[in-house]
Amino acid sequence: MTWELIWKIVFIVVLSLFAVMAVAVTVLGARDVRKLLARLKDEQSKDDE
Amino acid sequence: MTDAAQEAFSQTNFGTIDTVIVVVYLLISLGIGLMVKRYAGSMLNYIGAGRKIGPWLGVATMTGTELGLVTVMYSAQKGFSGGFAAFHMAVIAGVATLFVGLTGFIVGPLRRLEVLTIPEFYEKRFNKQIRVLGGILLVLAGVLNMGLFLKVGSMFIVGVTGMASEGEALKWVMVGLLVLVLIYTTLGGMISVVLTDYVQFVVLSFGLLAATGVAIWKLGWTNIFETVHATLGEGGFDPTVADSGFGWEYVFWMVITAGFVGSAVWPTAVSRALAMESEKAVRKQYCWSSISFTVRFMLPYFWGICALVFIAATPAGDDLKNLFFPEAGEPEVSNLYAMPIVMGRILPPVLIGIITAGMIAAFMSTHDSYFLTWSSVITQDIVAPLRKKEFSTKSRVKLTRILIVLMGGYVLYWSVFYKGREDIWDYMAVTGGIYFTGAFVVLMLGVYWKKTSSLGALLGLCSGLLMLFGLEPVQKAVGLKFQNEQTGEWQEILTSPQIGLITVGIALAVTIIGSLVSPNRKEIEI
Repeated sequence: MTWELIWKIVFIVVLSLFAVMAVAVTVLGARDVRKLLARLKDEQSKDDE
Repeated sequence: MTDAAQEAFSQTNFGTIDTVIVVVYLLISLGIGLMVKRYAGSMLNYIGAGRKIGPWLGVATMTGTELGLVTVMYSAQKGFSGGFAAFHMAVIAGVATLFVGLTGFIVGPLRRLEVLTIPEFYEKRFNKQIRVLGGILLVLAGVLNMGLFLKVGSMFIVGVTGMASEGEALKWVMVGLLVLVLIYTTLGGMISVVLTDYVQFVVLSFGLLAATGVAIWKLGWTNIFETVHATLGEGGFDPTVADSGFGWEYVFWMVITAGFVGSAVWPTAVSRALAMESEKAVRKQYCWSSISFTVRFMLPYFWGICALVFIAATPAGDDLKNLFFPEAGEPEVSNLYAMPIVMGRILPPVLIGIITAGMIAAFMSTHDSYFLTWSSVITQDIVAPLRKKEFSTKSRVKLTRILIVLMGGYVLYWSVFYKGREDIWDYMAVTGGIYFTGAFVVLMLGVYWKKTSSLGALLGLCSGLLMLFGLEPVQKAVGLKFQNEQTGEWQEILTSPQIGLITVGIALAVTIIGSLVSPNRKEIEI
């Protein structure tokens, strides 16, 4: 196996994995953002009380 | 700048619509910073987002921080000069990050200890003096390390927008970007950083994939590989051969630098891990981030390669050939400009606006993260332990903000006056090495070898200062790099990777010897 073939395979595999990851993180990361803001808001309202 | 260079640099597809995209994007980012400002009251919230970050947001913010504009620029430079052989660094980075995710190497125990910074670990494991020393070395290396960020980031913007043809544009863009970053970082701390990292992740990940597809479509998949073969030969693919510009020593140095240090020791990455809600979340974050840690290097390498192919093998790049590959005696344009100029010509309007906006956001994200990390280390790990009076939270946040502004001034100064000519990635590996060669050893042994003592840690951390000999101006000053009188070529007695490997070896040896010679009274197991 040549270096050229190795890099071709690695490049395609990594890019495909990244495309899947980008979709997953976009969707599930939005959920985490909502949770983070909710927790910080709760904390602040407790501090205000 | 010559008329030919001005003419070549002014050609870009970046237009009014792209400017609008960039401005709107930056306004949204600033809006987020203002929106979350009210949550940044406590030090835990300001520098650690209250340790409330979920795993998926963690992956986004880790990627947002590490996939910065500077990373894209120095990686593209490596791809432009080294071809596909540069890919080995991307693979090493990804494999090492996956290893950290699967085993929890270093970051797992750090998260369990609930420390906010690495020097805080030094105090828990050793003593207060080691914490202060570790903090000083960390800040020295970190601040030197980011010294060229502003210049490199600004070079992308003036390159891609066509402003490079105007002589003074680079300086004004540097000042403008710096002001933007300072306002943004001092406002909301880690919470605003994390949220804008998420937006940046979404925009950049899809933008990067689209831009890569366009580049392949325009240049041709087969043509890209054939041109690299014709231009760089076997060295353009095999990183182990000498004419690749890398070689085995460089590869081993990268296992430490781009591999374990980049993922498990470098404070900006570790600070994300320490802000996660649990150790389990940290590991999940690292396993997924192994993909983005590979991509953050690989895609920019590929863009650098595309720039090489565009200039060397397409008629549209003819006017750039003499600028980047001049005949003997003629001045050469910095190859850092190659990627942004070529992307400005290849990418269509709108996509180029989205990529530029994402890149400016990435620049801001990296900068604010670095400013925040180094300033909080000074506040938490140097000033606070040395103060005898109580140091209130309000005063700590205030000091951190003042330090951020001071660092901004330094970055502008260094960008203008540093005269080293090494590749940006090699400059960063060397300056970062002042901290991480010692810290890698002390952290690793401190976590996994209970006999590691305070004296061993002290010696290990101090040995990192040897990395200063890897900087080009220092090498020239002490005679490690000299000009051959007959050929006029510059020669090195020791290369930077060799100095790096020797320093790691010395740090390991002195930490072990120091620990055995002067053990702590009580052995500590993490």
